[in-house]
Amino acid sequence: MSRHAWRVLALAVAALTGLAISACGGGGGRDEGGAIGTGAPVKGKKGGTLKALYANDLEHIDPGEAFYQPDYMMVFAVHRPLYSFEPTNLEVASPDLAAAPPKLSDGGRTVTVKLKPGVRYGPPVNRTATSADVKYAIERAFTAAVPNGYAPTYFGIVEGAPEPGRKKSTDIKGIETPDEETIVFRLSESSGAFVKALSLPITAPVPEDYAKRYDAETPSQYATHQAATGPYMIEAGKDGRITYEIGKRMTLVRNPNWRAATDFRPAYVDRIELTMGNEDTTVAARQILRGKGLINGDFPPDPPVIKDAVRRRKSQITFAPLGNRYIGLNTKVKPLDDLNVRKAIIAASDRNALRLTRGGPIVGDLATHFLAPGQPGFAEAGGTKGPNLDFIQNPDGSMALAADYMKKAGYASGRYTGSETLTMVGDDSGVGARTAEVFQSQLQKLGFKVDFRQVPHDTMFSKFCNVPEARVAVCPNVGWLPDFADGQAWFDPTFSGESIVPENNSNWAQLDVPAINEAIDEAKKITGQAERDEAWGKIDRMVMAQAPAVPWIWDNQANIASSDVQGAIARWNGQWDLSFTSIK
Amino acid sequence: MVTYILRRLLWAALLVLVVSFVTFVIFYALPSADPAVLRAGARSGNQALLESIRDTLGLDEPWYVQYAQYMERLLFHFDFGFSYRTDAPVREQILDRIPATASLVLGAAAVWIAVGIPVGVVSATRRRSWIDRIAMGATLVAISAPVYWLGLVVLYLFADDIGRFPLFKGSGSYVPLTESPAGWFGSLLLPWLVLAATAAAFYARLLRGNLAGVLSEDYIRTARAKGLSERAVVWRHGVRSAITPVVTVLGLDIGILLGGAILTETVFNIPGVGRLAFSAIRGADLPMIQGTVLIGALFIILANLVVDVLYGFLDPRVRIG
Repeated sequence: MSRHAWRVLALAVAALTGLAISACGGGGGRDEGGAIGTGAPVKGKKGGTLKALYANDLEHIDPGEAFYQPDYMMVFAVHRPLYSFEPTNLEVASPDLAAAPPKLSDGGRTVTVKLKPGVRYGPPVNRTATSADVKYAIERAFTAAVPNGYAPTYFGIVEGAPEPGRKKSTDIKGIETPDEETIVFRLSESSGAFVKALSLPITAPVPEDYAKRYDAETPSQYATHQAATGPYMIEAGKDGRITYEIGKRMTLVRNPNWRAATDFRPAYVDRIELTMGNEDTTVAARQILRGKGLINGDFPPDPPVIKDAVRRRKSQITFAPLGNRYIGLNTKVKPLDDLNVRKAIIAASDRNALRLTRGGPIVGDLATHFLAPGQPGFAEAGGTKGPNLDFIQNPDGSMALAADYMKKAGYASGRYTGSETLTMVGDDSGVGARTAEVFQSQLQKLGFKVDFRQVPHDTMFSKFCNVPEARVAVCPNVGWLPDFADGQAWFDPTFSGESIVPENNSNWAQLDVPAINEAIDEAKKITGQAERDEAWGKIDRMVMAQAPAVPWIWDNQANIASSDVQGAIARWNGQWDLSFTSIK
Repeated sequence: MVTYILRRLLWAALLVLVVSFVTFVIFYALPSADPAVLRAGARSGNQALLESIRDTLGLDEPWYVQYAQYMERLLFHFDFGFSYRTDAPVREQILDRIPATASLVLGAAAVWIAVGIPVGVVSATRRRSWIDRIAMGATLVAISAPVYWLGLVVLYLFADDIGRFPLFKGSGSYVPLTESPAGWFGSLLLPWLVLAATAAAFYARLLRGNLAGVLSEDYIRTARAKGLSERAVVWRHGVRSAITPVVTVLGLDIGILLGGAILTETVFNIPGVGRLAFSAIRGADLPMIQGTVLIGALFIILANLVVDVLYGFLDPRVRIG
């Protein structure tokens, strides 16, 4: 018996494992015809419950603090900033709480916004939102209780704007509210980006009379008592405190005081349940694809799931062009301080191989410069083909061209023969780690010695790549998703020498070229869209000519939904728009 | 006995202090993310903002001052502080998560005891039989299967949403006991089985080895010579003696898992202490890391104490003075 029993047992285990593995790989559906979902908004059916699965918790749900994509997904369904983007529009934000586009006067230094009458807060505030509420919302974002990352960047030019981190909110003299439906911003200089920044959630009204007691605490507790102006509100308990279970779930229900006539959002579904903690995103993605009423929240599906969905469930997956990914080359560190060395590295880069680490062509187009497709200034920067620079032309890399540039840099063999070792700090897990490893081998082909340190993603930024003093030569896992679709939001933080700061620095290349800095300063003042596009397109070409980074992909963010969900993608955020998505 | 327990509790308090200190030192010694930067948002390099956040969170003080302040709040106010990431009180968050972890761990422990001990006894009393071989082969497979892998396999096989044979509730279906006892039971069946599989196998092998040794002791022969039934010999005299090391391991296992069954909670999306700790570590959320580590340490220490006290009842040779 014994030998036979073992054999039977082994076969049983093998069969069970095989079954399990086939189950893991199988989407369970046949090859589906038709096209991949567009994510365009269509007229939907009213009612039903939509469920969004999140891997992690939301970071910040206070409109004064919210900053990340997953937060925006929820915040823009609950709050109404002065302006916000309709799902398919990247360039021009539509009036939301505002009644009409802003009026610019005084050479663009005065911005006047009229508010819609009759936009009311949900319970427990139950009153009309006023211009004073918008002023207070902006002022509180400069306090320590409501730490906001972008307030000083875009609203620091309002006359009288304080340094961030104040103990108490201060009256900003440059924000005037002559009546309840008018708000006037007086700026120290004209700024095209300021007008676009009025679409950020910092401009969503906060009722001072109600919120003050919560803002008196540091950190503010308004997030868990917030009042909604949007079509949805966070379900509240009897005590008025919202029933948000951190790390578990949040439920959005209809705001009884919201009036459809004042809003461009159709708000189809009655109820939206956000479930956090789906950290095994493969399981979560399969639940979405096979389940009912589900969409992905903060996580993109893994490459195998994307491939499977593209093959078998085309209508349930959609791709949204979003930001870019690039490899930062520190222009202040030897030998990368030599322009020819940087050009050689870009020339040698096999961007196709880098893209394969994320899943291949379906996850994005190969980048030839920085501004992504669909963004203002993209065509002016050279479009898909790019700025016609030889070192970025070959998607598979050209070792011959790289050798030429190395020779120009003084390395006669066409390979690096110096004594410096390049310090590279990248992700320690996931697809980011694979990208970094592929790039490491590409550097080694050119003769570089690489000291590659792998650390968690947040550590990579906050302790290494974002800290100039750390003197990291290569940051292989960086990229940019702008705050809104505008060249300033793309280039000012990332390639202006004036943006280099000792901590949390986003100019990873530490590029500090006076001509580029001046061009950025000038472009910031332009208020006309066409002129802005031209200026930022030109800046993109100027930056690319300095070879401060290897742009390798313009991301397509994959989003998935259950078969009964009529999903609409907010193109400006790259994620589902909860207010435009419906149940079939 | 009371003196002994009091003495152990005092040692426990000291141990918790040491654990908290070591956690603090590790957090500052190893390169982790900067909480102030995470709080400000990935792109804010504004120094005034970063300084104000550090001031708010107390991060501008030297680490030993931060530690002293933390301990002062903890010891005199039982205040674990606020999460750097969510602003939520740490104590509230942990207490909120304990029922889910306790449900998972205690239920799984019941399963692994119910399976592991009988299998161990049967294997020990029928050594080299086909039952013994199948049982020990199966335990070897179960011990070799990582919880994470096993969890995914059973989900893809048996979960009612993504499984081939939709028999059990899947990931993310956890319902608190107070909300629906039936829902609670149904949602935890798969996690219990997965978490219990390895432990049951290990306990069965451990007990088999111990019991086999005990059953060849002289006093067992004496018991048989006195005419006791085989069942009484095995269970009353054999198992009682052989189970002492199993109880030791059981205490430790339950203590460790109550501090967070991270993998099982993650695969099945059970909102327990383990997942909270995991998120805290990834988010450089020191107060939450401290809170979960301290709670974990406390559970282990208490479980050890309970085991030591139990020894006295199980084995007359061990008496606590």
